[in-house]
Amino acid sequence: MDAQYFISSGLIELYAAGMASEQEVQELEAAMRQFPEVAAAVETYRRNMEEYVSLQRLTPEAAVKTSLFNQINNEPDLQDSLQKTDQQMQQPKLVSMTETKSLSWKWIAAASAALLIGSLILNYVFFNRYKEFKEYKDKYQSLLLSQNSILSKENLYKTRLEQMQQSLDVIQDPDVMKVKMPGTKAFPEAMATVFWNQSSKQVYVKVNKLPEPAADKQYQLWAIVDGKPVSMGVFEMGDTAQLLQKMQITGAAQMFAVTLEKKGGAAAPTMEQMYVAGKVPG
Amino acid sequence: MDFSATYTEAELVQGLRARDQKIFSYLYDHYSPALYGVIVKVLNNDSTGGDVLQDVYLKIWRYADRYDETKGRLFTWMLNIARNTAIDILRSKSHKLEQKIQNITDDVNAGSGPLTVYQSTDYLGFSKILEKLTKEQRTLIDLAYYKGCTQEEISRVLDIPLGTVKTRMRNAIIQLRNILNK
Repeated sequence: MDAQYFISSGLIELYAAGMASEQEVQELEAAMRQFPEVAAAVETYRRNMEEYVSLQRLTPEAAVKTSLFNQINNEPDLQDSLQKTDQQMQQPKLVSMTETKSLSWKWIAAASAALLIGSLILNYVFFNRYKEFKEYKDKYQSLLLSQNSILSKENLYKTRLEQMQQSLDVIQDPDVMKVKMPGTKAFPEAMATVFWNQSSKQVYVKVNKLPEPAADKQYQLWAIVDGKPVSMGVFEMGDTAQLLQKMQITGAAQMFAVTLEKKGGAAAPTMEQMYVAGKVPG
Repeated sequence: MDFSATYTEAELVQGLRARDQKIFSYLYDHYSPALYGVIVKVLNNDSTGGDVLQDVYLKIWRYADRYDETKGRLFTWMLNIARNTAIDILRSKSHKLEQKIQNITDDVNAGSGPLTVYQSTDYLGFSKILEKLTKEQRTLIDLAYYKGCTQEEISRVLDIPLGTVKTRMRNAIIQLRNILNK
């Protein structure tokens, strides 16, 4: 094979277009070393292709160059390492990578430890604060409770005082007539008093001594008007019994009596259960 | 084209090997439009072209010692790095051959794709060359050079016999030489 064979084979054109096969490339490159005229022909076509390519050039963005030079300047080891073999070139990079890695690992570990300690301290502080807060909260709640109970007691006393005042007012009224009702023969220990306002005709009863009735029973006050019993209503026992209890109104009565009846009162008094009775004086 | 207006080829090679940033900057300023043109033509887009161009220049910087002046000029070596890098990306993206062809055909048919917008000073000269190459000749050159298609691939996608691919390709390159050497 001589130089002319290669020049006329068409291989150089394919080679220039980058389309020659691996084997053809090897053949041609061998011929280029052997025959200067083949090398010259290849160079001619190559320059043609390069010119073809250069005619289609495009201007890249300016940022690419900036970025490129930044990257180059961030490879300080490159210049030295490139003078050495590829093997050596890898090593400083690897070492620096491991250093960075272990450094960052240490840093992360230190940061984690610091965070953990910080977190523990904050936990302690906040837990203590929470405990204190809880103590105060408990104290506050008990104070609130006792204040409530004081308030309710105060209300109770106030109410009681008002009731006493009302009772006193009733008794102190000069128009009020006091009818003492001693115990009957069956209940000699019992005692109650009727206060009867002569102008308003209002009747009040005050328990002096009466036994607590069963839950389904209630005491009932009667006014005996012209020999007939007229109900003045039932009255409460317990704490209320200490007070003067407002009953019905009656214009005339010769006598007052208390019987024990079923809860809510009865239409007619049960004579056997008459506890106290007293005549209106005068 | 005179690429060494202020430096000789030997000075450029020596400067690159010494990792002289002034020389490297010169190589960038003078050759990047050509390399970028190749990258954009191969990948058929310029959205990632900038990154690829940066990658190509990093290779040139890092592997400067691999350049062998007995095998060709510095520009040839740089152009090969750009072309091979871009074609590798094209293939790694598992582009189908038909897609490659479609892109080329689109380019040819469109005549003025979006890329021509950036082709400023040399566009007129380039279009004169295009006029003297047939569409098929341009397609053949572009498929081979920019898409890295083998003769067999071109034969298959253009549906012409392998021998005919070789003949027509040779004629296209000769035609290109005749145009450029006028």
